[in-house]
Amino acid sequence: MSTPPVAVVGVGQTHHKSRRLDVSFGGLVREAVFRALDDAQMTLADIDAVVLGKAPDLFEGVMKPELYLSDALGAVGKPMFRVHTAGSVGGTTAIVAASHVQAGKHRTVLAVAFEKQSEGNAQFALGSGKGASLGAGGAFAPFIRAYIQRSGAPEHIGWKVAVKDRLNALKNPYAHLKIEDISIEKVKASPMMWEPTRFLESCPSSDGACAVVITDEAGGNAAAAEGRPPAWILASSSRSEPSSFPGRDPVRPAAALQCAADVYSAAGITDPRRQIDTAELYVPFSWLEPIWLEAFGLAEEGEGWKMVDDGTTELGGSLPVNASGGVLSSNPIGASGLLRFAEAANQVRGAAGEHQVDGAKVAIGMAYGANNQYFSTWAVGSSLHPFD
Amino acid sequence: MTRFIESTITFPYKRSLGPVVGAFMTALTEKQILGIRCQDAVLVPPMEWDPSTGAELPHEFVEVGPAGTVESWTWVAVQSEQHPLDHPFAFALIRLDGATTPLLHAVDAGNPEAMSEGMRVAPRWRGTRAGRIDDIICFVPGESVETEGEDTGGAAEPVTRMDYLASITYRNPVPEAADRATEASREHRLLGLRCPDCGRVYAGGRGLCPVDAIELGPECEVDLPHKGTITNFAIVTPVQYPGQTETEPFVRAFVLLDDTDVIIPYSAVIELPADEVRVGQRVDAVWASPAEETEEGGGMGGSWGSLLGWIPNGEPDLDDPDLVNRIF
Amino acid sequence: MSAPSTDIAVIGWAQTPMVRHTDKSETQLLMDAITDALTPLGLQRADIDFTCLGSCDYITGQAFSFVSNLDAIGAWPPKRDSHVEMDGAWALYEAWLRLQEGDIDIAVVTGSGRSSTGDPALIYPMEMDPYFLAPLGADPLTFAALQARAVIAAGIADERRMAEVAVRARGTGDVESLLTEEFIRQPLRRHDVPPITDGAAAMVLATGERARQLVERPAYVTGFDHRTECHNPSFRALDDSPSTRIAAEAAGLGDAPVEVAELQAAFTHEELLLRSVLGLGDDVTVNASGGALKENPIMATGLCRVGYAADHIFGGGNRALAHATSGPCLQQNLVCILEGRS
Repeated sequence: MSTPPVAVVGVGQTHHKSRRLDVSFGGLVREAVFRALDDAQMTLADIDAVVLGKAPDLFEGVMKPELYLSDALGAVGKPMFRVHTAGSVGGTTAIVAASHVQAGKHRTVLAVAFEKQSEGNAQFALGSGKGASLGAGGAFAPFIRAYIQRSGAPEHIGWKVAVKDRLNALKNPYAHLKIEDISIEKVKASPMMWEPTRFLESCPSSDGACAVVITDEAGGNAAAAEGRPPAWILASSSRSEPSSFPGRDPVRPAAALQCAADVYSAAGITDPRRQIDTAELYVPFSWLEPIWLEAFGLAEEGEGWKMVDDGTTELGGSLPVNASGGVLSSNPIGASGLLRFAEAANQVRGAAGEHQVDGAKVAIGMAYGANNQYFSTWAVGSSLHPFD
Repeated sequence: MTRFIESTITFPYKRSLGPVVGAFMTALTEKQILGIRCQDAVLVPPMEWDPSTGAELPHEFVEVGPAGTVESWTWVAVQSEQHPLDHPFAFALIRLDGATTPLLHAVDAGNPEAMSEGMRVAPRWRGTRAGRIDDIICFVPGESVETEGEDTGGAAEPVTRMDYLASITYRNPVPEAADRATEASREHRLLGLRCPDCGRVYAGGRGLCPVDAIELGPECEVDLPHKGTITNFAIVTPVQYPGQTETEPFVRAFVLLDDTDVIIPYSAVIELPADEVRVGQRVDAVWASPAEETEEGGGMGGSWGSLLGWIPNGEPDLDDPDLVNRIF
Repeated sequence: MSAPSTDIAVIGWAQTPMVRHTDKSETQLLMDAITDALTPLGLQRADIDFTCLGSCDYITGQAFSFVSNLDAIGAWPPKRDSHVEMDGAWALYEAWLRLQEGDIDIAVVTGSGRSSTGDPALIYPMEMDPYFLAPLGADPLTFAALQARAVIAAGIADERRMAEVAVRARGTGDVESLLTEEFIRQPLRRHDVPPITDGAAAMVLATGERARQLVERPAYVTGFDHRTECHNPSFRALDDSPSTRIAAEAAGLGDAPVEVAELQAAFTHEELLLRSVLGLGDDVTVNASGGALKENPIMATGLCRVGYAADHIFGGGNRALAHATSGPCLQQNLVCILEGRS
């Protein structure tokens, strides 16, 4: 298989907040888009196609928003595409955008994902307006209980992840939640939401957008020559499995294992723990960090919690996870996956500012959706052959 | 005969308008209509961006109208509940004086013979204006601006938000398997469907095997036991939203039915407080009495029909830590 | 940058019976369509390397409705899979791009929707500008009527020719008596507007070598493009469809004549406008299938156009065009060119 190399040359995002009352629908998206274009030193005229990703339209009550946003995104006369794969959608958006370039059909593609969920009510939309909704985290509580039993993880692991991600967010100017005095005690004292997950171990509901500019090999090289190193996309994959059937394991989902295997084999990653410098994993509830560390081969089965416990996944550790503060700190649902992919790209571009992982050369971005069913992942590198 | 379920998705959305639409809506409350300059043109309705290029537009507002010329129209003989008028009217593209582009709005002309391209129309304003496009109730033939009802004046503060009530009713079919499960529940039977290919059994009216992607018909039916063990559970602290029914933390349990691999997920529990639910706890099914029977079923809802939930039966707990992994 | 490969082909497709109203759920429709598309090819679900579904939550009436549709695929072991909130024709585009990467051979794409579930007049205003148009309940019939007016004024259509399109599409009716009918949204009469149809379609796409192993005469995708225009019809010249023109050019329509064109024209005037914009002469057979005027399974209608165009190739034809559209007044348009090889 020989796919032409593609690169990320621009990243932009909004200041994520619980309610962005200062902007319109289009204004929110354009804020991220223009930041990404500025970062790429491009204008809308340089974009050949736009791929838009978003969670259910019921969140905002605007059906098929790619139609309304066509002109806002400078897509008039260009292809405009809309993907929707539940929570993983932001990741899928990046993958499909890259696919547009890899196919040799378009040169420079803008991937955009957003959510302006304060216009509606996310809990309402998730429950389709019915009473006694499980809420965002209710579906995962049993998975977490099972993980804790299997691994023997002590109860403080979830709290440690929450503190870590919230401390990291203080270094991310765009993050929604910034809790200066975050501590284990504060997390423990916060209200229980879905036992054992407490309020401060859960993601917020955010308005926000993210945009990424993806271009071909020549474009990537041009950016590098101008002192703006790109992130080279080493591999990507999207895998799905059905929601429920006897024998399904949502704690170590086969679709996650397969997605990781797809990416690692295509990227030449044979020892993920050593070869990957940092990871942005989709963790909306704290315990998902050790769960994903294991499912994505960054830790042996049953050992993921130890990497949390011994500080490995902290910003100063040997495999920082969610240096950006992650989904726990900002969660505009449709955009959260793209934020993971974009933050991973920024790490290997050396563009992550205060939350930069020193010397990061290879990073992964991962997003999941629905009942731990939909997985999108990409691996990015500061060079096309980082392991040579 | 397939049964259909009608459900209405209703939500009161509240939009933030941004600087351009906000200015337009605020002006509407003052009975002014604004366009925005876009190079040589005056765009109505005003946009934050140039529609052809996406470039940000400077906030150069231009007052247009109030009267204008109909450029095109069509007659709405039967109006929908969302339309601006509750009697027949025209939708028209109206080029307000001073605007380059036409605004779509209603014209209350009385009958289609009164409509023509090139005719002049003027707005009929709502007496009390909220800062929404329907502050203009509609346009009327002629040059004279009208106001309906007492004019309560412009907004005290700039308008920055807009309400939008979305309400759509859907009729979705209830698949035969779901109905048969509900029917069986009236006889206090817990129905499962066994896939002839892989042998997995599905409960809850799930009429297909997602592994083999085949439908499971009545010939696949098996009766499932009414006793089981709690393997896992969620304790949900309710959040308030329109339509929420809960106020206290509530349990949703996973029940592994005896002598099967069938797990009933997210089950309601009865006489089992949240602080007493345990992995390994033995439970029995609880059925609705005839007096409690409803069209939509009891505590479990949907095709579980008369199954209200699960109640501890006093048997000793199953001591098997691995039970917690029995989720699906 | 190298151009996309033209060695990727449609090798088969299937659709459910297109009916005014079905008792089946969307998932059931998809299950049937996928099985019916695979069986004649001797393929099983296990042979599918990539799936891409096209559907719309708002048509179905539930957030995340596509998740249950996954059950129709048999995604176990886990499949490479994606979903677009668009007509299946765009799902086909995503699959076509994916197959270009060369590591996999067979993709299945679907389009599905039960339009009878809700009232289009109440649902579709929600896709319009949320500030200026949705609150007026501005519905698709209104926008179609305004475009029809413009197209008639430009001389591209007239009520008689529109009625002729309707008679040809449905294979029934008499132009003279149709013209005596009342307008339902002038200048549109009942025969000018699409039916409500429930249905689903599934299509199999394969890379060249695999395609040639499986069928006699693959329908090679030699051109594929889609473009959008600005959203608000107020800002557009409604007597034209520039995105269709650009997409057709980029897809290589001008390179050689097409024998057959399947156009997603839900309204009679749209067929005449699209014919004109695409420069299709009388030598091109347009919408032999009856098109969207005969059967309009929303979210699958565009994919069905590609299917019928492919049928022309399977049956010995050389070059066919398929078109799909989305949004008010043909806002977004897709053109796919299929060719046979000797």
